[in-house]
Amino acid sequence: MIRNLENLIIKVGDVDRRVIFVLIGLAVLIPLLTPVSLPIRETPTTVKFYEGIEEIPKGSKVLVSFDYGPSTRPEIHPMNVAVLRHMLRNEHKVYISCLWPDGIYMALDALEDISDEFSLKEYEDYVLLGYRPGAEAVIKGLASDLRKVYTVDANGKFIDDIKMMDNVKNLNDFAYIYSGSAGYPGTFEWVKYGGDPTGVRMSSGTTSVQVNEVIPYVRSGQLIGLLAGMPGAAEYEKLVESPGIAIKGMAAQSFAHIVIVVFIIFGNIAFFLKQKKERKYSK
Amino acid sequence: MFVLTLSVIFIMLYEIRLTKFTDKLPFLRSIPGLRAIEEAVGRSTEMGKPILFVPGIMDMNEVETVAGVVVLGHVANMTAKYETELDVPVARAIVMQAARQVSKEAYLTQGRPELYNEDMVHYITDDQFAYAAAVNGIMQRDEPAACLYMGKFFAESLLFAETGNSIGAIQIAGTGSQTQIPFFVTACDYTLMGEEFFAASAYLSQEADLIAGITAQDLIKVILVIVILFGTVSRALFDLGLVSFDFITLIGI
Amino acid sequence: MILKRYIPIAIVAIFGSLTLSAWFIDNETIETFANDDATQFFDIIAAFAVFLGALNLLKLQFIKFIKKQKGWQYSAISIISFFFAFIIGFFIRGAYFVEDKVFFTEEAALESLIIVDISEAQQEQAYKVQENSFKDLSDAKDFAIKQNLITPVDWGAHVQKNGSLFQWMFKYIFSPLSATMFALLAFFVASASFRAFRARNFEASLLLLAGIIIMIGRVPAGSLISSWMVMYLIVLVSGLYIHYLKKKNNVTIIFTLAGFILVTIAGVITGWPIDKPSIFYLPLLQEWIYLVPNAAGSTAILMGIGLGIVVTSLRYIFGLEKSYLGE
Repeated sequence: MIRNLENLIIKVGDVDRRVIFVLIGLAVLIPLLTPVSLPIRETPTTVKFYEGIEEIPKGSKVLVSFDYGPSTRPEIHPMNVAVLRHMLRNEHKVYISCLWPDGIYMALDALEDISDEFSLKEYEDYVLLGYRPGAEAVIKGLASDLRKVYTVDANGKFIDDIKMMDNVKNLNDFAYIYSGSAGYPGTFEWVKYGGDPTGVRMSSGTTSVQVNEVIPYVRSGQLIGLLAGMPGAAEYEKLVESPGIAIKGMAAQSFAHIVIVVFIIFGNIAFFLKQKKERKYSK
Repeated sequence: MFVLTLSVIFIMLYEIRLTKFTDKLPFLRSIPGLRAIEEAVGRSTEMGKPILFVPGIMDMNEVETVAGVVVLGHVANMTAKYETELDVPVARAIVMQAARQVSKEAYLTQGRPELYNEDMVHYITDDQFAYAAAVNGIMQRDEPAACLYMGKFFAESLLFAETGNSIGAIQIAGTGSQTQIPFFVTACDYTLMGEEFFAASAYLSQEADLIAGITAQDLIKVILVIVILFGTVSRALFDLGLVSFDFITLIGI
Repeated sequence: MILKRYIPIAIVAIFGSLTLSAWFIDNETIETFANDDATQFFDIIAAFAVFLGALNLLKLQFIKFIKKQKGWQYSAISIISFFFAFIIGFFIRGAYFVEDKVFFTEEAALESLIIVDISEAQQEQAYKVQENSFKDLSDAKDFAIKQNLITPVDWGAHVQKNGSLFQWMFKYIFSPLSATMFALLAFFVASASFRAFRARNFEASLLLLAGIIIMIGRVPAGSLISSWMVMYLIVLVSGLYIHYLKKKNNVTIIFTLAGFILVTIAGVITGWPIDKPSIFYLPLLQEWIYLVPNAAGSTAILMGIGLGIVVTSLRYIFGLEKSYLGE
């Protein structure tokens, strides 16, 4: 019987990757279809991020940058929506820029998600500056003179005709910069050319994969906290008390991770059993 | 910062000058990933299958892309020599032009201009995942025997590496993208990590000037390690109140 | 020779040195050049270079399609998609406003404004626009246009406007395709981890262990696993390892039992707190791995990469590296 079990485990170790794909698919799909509630524990970086925004004086001007596209939308979009909610709840005036061409569509979707809740009025609550090509050149331009980069907003309206833009000359006129970033251009460029040279407080939300690279900036204080991937988005949704897609997605992510770990463990047991067999037959 | 930059420049120039006065080339340790490139080309030639070379998804303003195009030149030399088919799908038009130039020169140098075809290097799209989808499609349909990923990558790295693994190709990756190195290490046969990738040009060409640049890099690293160790000890002693001298504050950090 | 070799090297050397020195020279012209103009030069060149790429793409796809080579059907889709996006980006506004409603075409916007009114008494069909009635449809349309009841979106803004045709294409075609490709990573990560995470040696075992801790600790499920469960697991695994070394059942049983008893006593005394001892609580352990060994290793690799970039860039500026020219 033990031999049969060993043979079964060895078979699992050599399983076709398509079986793994199916199981991962089910592990993600089932929790999404039948929601499972799991406790969300806030990490220090998310708490610091939340407190950083709470410290901004009410009614301040804040710059929110949408630097991601549809591929990374599941990770970054929930955090950006939650950030907008937090900002608008604290009566800040939001200015939205995009370093990615896809970012403008993400921004439109995010505004649509929250417009009913806050009865948003464009040019009173927010200004959608839109996308400009140039990556770090855009940030450098914003740091020196906003009107060098933006002469019109996303709707084609002249910046000088927008009342909300009256006392906004460059990045120094903002109390806070936030970038929801999925890669280049994004967090690093905002830190290097935006937050650091001007001294304006800033933070960011990034994909889980980027957290590694961004953590040194958090430790040095150049970023005030960090939203790390979908778990960070879920933690932040909990802190701002507006549960959304990120919290719903955490059960799916949890089960998927557990399935992967179970396969890794089985794979290693199969590996050892195979080695044991090979040593036995080579004697 | 200015002093640091000047120091780096002077160390590099000093090493290059030093190399000129010696007959022996500075020692460069063996980099398995680079040795494997010739093996990969040989394997493709034997199997009669093409080599797929992906020079990253960024433009020529990235140092990694330029380094990738440089490695392409060396690979093109080998494919010209062994008459192996080379396929280079690119994500940027400027990279297409540079890669074509480099490949053409390689084929001319090897005396095989008739084997060079401009469409070996072809543009797909700028979009990250559309490019990944196209390259995956090329891998599935053409089944290259060797896949080389040399340049700057983002999330699509694992898509390439896993698809390459599924078709049984030998895979060699080289990148300075820190976040993608783990994915390449997991899925590829050989991975050139960070500095190894930048040293590829020097390693493959065996030119004294380029190898001197690598030794300069190592010397700067040794100096940096000494500074870090000295600074750590000095700061620890300063915080304990044993000395009144803090090296880290002195150098302005 | 001069054109192909020396002039490109001179251009690289001059512009490279200028951009590098802009960090240190306090001169507005040089700073403006390095910070704004240089990157904009590149962006403009790259933007025009896209035409070369696009023409190359079309050429290859057309050849494949016309010669019916392997996979020509995909080429047909590529060509249609290319022209679809090109036409609606450059030639079709795709957004006509009637108050706050958006329509893809002017015709559709007009149709929403014009009401067909059949008078019972006269059995005649009339077309009403607001309070005005017209016998001919074309008169009704002219009136609507003259009264500026339809506002077409501005060229340029038409690709960004909410509800426009271009945005429709982005939302319902491009976005799902992009998200699908990214979603493949979830499956590929699973199969790559399964294949690669084998405890072949000490370093691989360490990688495996760290990977498992991070994967479980990072998600909410990890916070449900008490540190005592982890301690029991460690005792069990240690017992198996002792058995592998000593191959004596007595020793294994005694060791494992002793371990279980010790952990149980500690748990009873402390009251089984879920997150203490914190060294065995996966979320806290995962945070420590992220912030300490991982950050240290990443910083070291980053320094190496940074140095590599510096020296490589200097090689290009000094003209030592000429391979990118084809030499």
